[in-house]
Amino acid sequence: MTGARGGWQSTGRNMLRILPVLIVLGLWQFASATGVLPKSLMPSLFEVGRALAGLIASGEIVPHTLASLGRAGAGFFVAVVFGIAIGVLMARVHSVQLALEPILGLIYPVPKPALIPLFMVWLGIGNFSKIAVIALACLVPIVIATFNGARSVDPMLLWSARARGTSERRLLWRVVLPSALPQIAAGVRTAIAIAVIVLVSSEFISSEAGLGFLIFSYGGVGAEDAMLAVVLYLAVLGYALDRLYVAGLRKAMAWHAFAH
Amino acid sequence: MRSPTDGHASRMRRLFVRIVPVGTVLIAWELATRLNVVNPYVFPPVSEIVLRWVTLVAGGTMLGPLWDTLWRALLGLGMAVAIGVPLGLVMGRSRAAEWFLEPLFSFAFPLPKIALIPLYVSWFGLFSLSKVMQIFTDCLFPIVLFTYHGARGISPIYTWSAQARGTGPLRMFWRVVLPLSLASIYDGVQVAVVVAVLVAVVTEMVSGGSGLGYMMMRAYRYGDVRTAFATLLTISLIGYVLYRIAQALRERLLFWHVTEA
Repeated sequence: MTGARGGWQSTGRNMLRILPVLIVLGLWQFASATGVLPKSLMPSLFEVGRALAGLIASGEIVPHTLASLGRAGAGFFVAVVFGIAIGVLMARVHSVQLALEPILGLIYPVPKPALIPLFMVWLGIGNFSKIAVIALACLVPIVIATFNGARSVDPMLLWSARARGTSERRLLWRVVLPSALPQIAAGVRTAIAIAVIVLVSSEFISSEAGLGFLIFSYGGVGAEDAMLAVVLYLAVLGYALDRLYVAGLRKAMAWHAFAH
Repeated sequence: MRSPTDGHASRMRRLFVRIVPVGTVLIAWELATRLNVVNPYVFPPVSEIVLRWVTLVAGGTMLGPLWDTLWRALLGLGMAVAIGVPLGLVMGRSRAAEWFLEPLFSFAFPLPKIALIPLYVSWFGLFSLSKVMQIFTDCLFPIVLFTYHGARGISPIYTWSAQARGTGPLRMFWRVVLPLSLASIYDGVQVAVVVAVLVAVVTEMVSGGSGLGYMMMRAYRYGDVRTAFATLLTISLIGYVLYRIAQALRERLLFWHVTEA
């Protein structure tokens, strides 16, 4: 899949894939321009674009982006660090697995955004409660993915490493984590999507900054072009983060069969 | 050779092993609040939460909101199945539909549709309709994509042999494509059940109007943490029960299905 030819082919495929999205956007603009889609129901694509350009040009969107990214990033970071640690511990130490598996089973079915009011009681309505809910919501898929990945390490790899006198610590860093990486990566990717959902929900419920807050306050005053502009911006941001993650992953895991 | 009683004993042991950690956490929680290690106002004892839950359920206060959340979630989910399954099947079997729809659904699937709540409120009003439509939108994506992957992955041997026997296109959908996609459709439904409850609760928390989400927000505003916890318990229970029902239905309906490796 290397070389100019492969590159051109995949560019062509991507163009073909994006075409339907462009057609739908074109239809939206066409329907607005001809009045089939009344302005009272939905602003046109151009109006949304103009509102977005205005939000970016005036710099209004910047502090809200930073507020949202900070919350989601902090919660996500905590979840990645603790999630991988807990998952590996569960997979390697049987008593930890016995202790945590039922508790995980108890947390798993709780819809995490429903925890927002309780966390607001415990940690206040500021950033901490939002970060904590995001961290908890992201933690569960990462723990489960890491646990499954670290548990199913090929025993041959472990045996041959041990036979060569590898210490348990080195075994963890050089054998267990690398071979669990594809599953951990998939869990982390799920967590990114969850982080954005919980972030927006928590900012809808209570906040004075952030993209969710911006969407909600523009919606509240009937400025639908600006509201949709922020929704679009959030969608592009989420998409870009996901692509960035996948691209980084491919680079980091070029040695792994998963990447090919 | 294991005797049946042996199996019973090991099952009891497994159950015991599962109960101990949860029991430890609950007892520690109870003790910590009783001994004032944590403030019992913000973190009430388990026993009081359970008592509140029983009171709210037995007194009927919980039943109205429970019913509202449940019917909204199930109606939205049902609409998503009714529209998403045919859409996914067509996408899986027609190249033109696949070319046009697959990128749209794949692109929009990971996006936070919850951000559309204010738009849906302005379109469909503050009451149940906007919530049901939001649940429908969120559930549609997993159902369409799982159905699509199921229909696409059908081994051509089945469609060829049906075609060779002169099966028409409509009959082909009903008798070949749909049954062979069912396992995948059910995976989608199982994902969507969880999504439906989550979105129902979030819409109720954001735009109010009865339901368990609203009940939680109201309890929060009154500082009634016991009721908030009891409501959370109900929300988690219906999520869990619906998931298990979907799982049981799958086993009943798909007992004949051989999962291809």
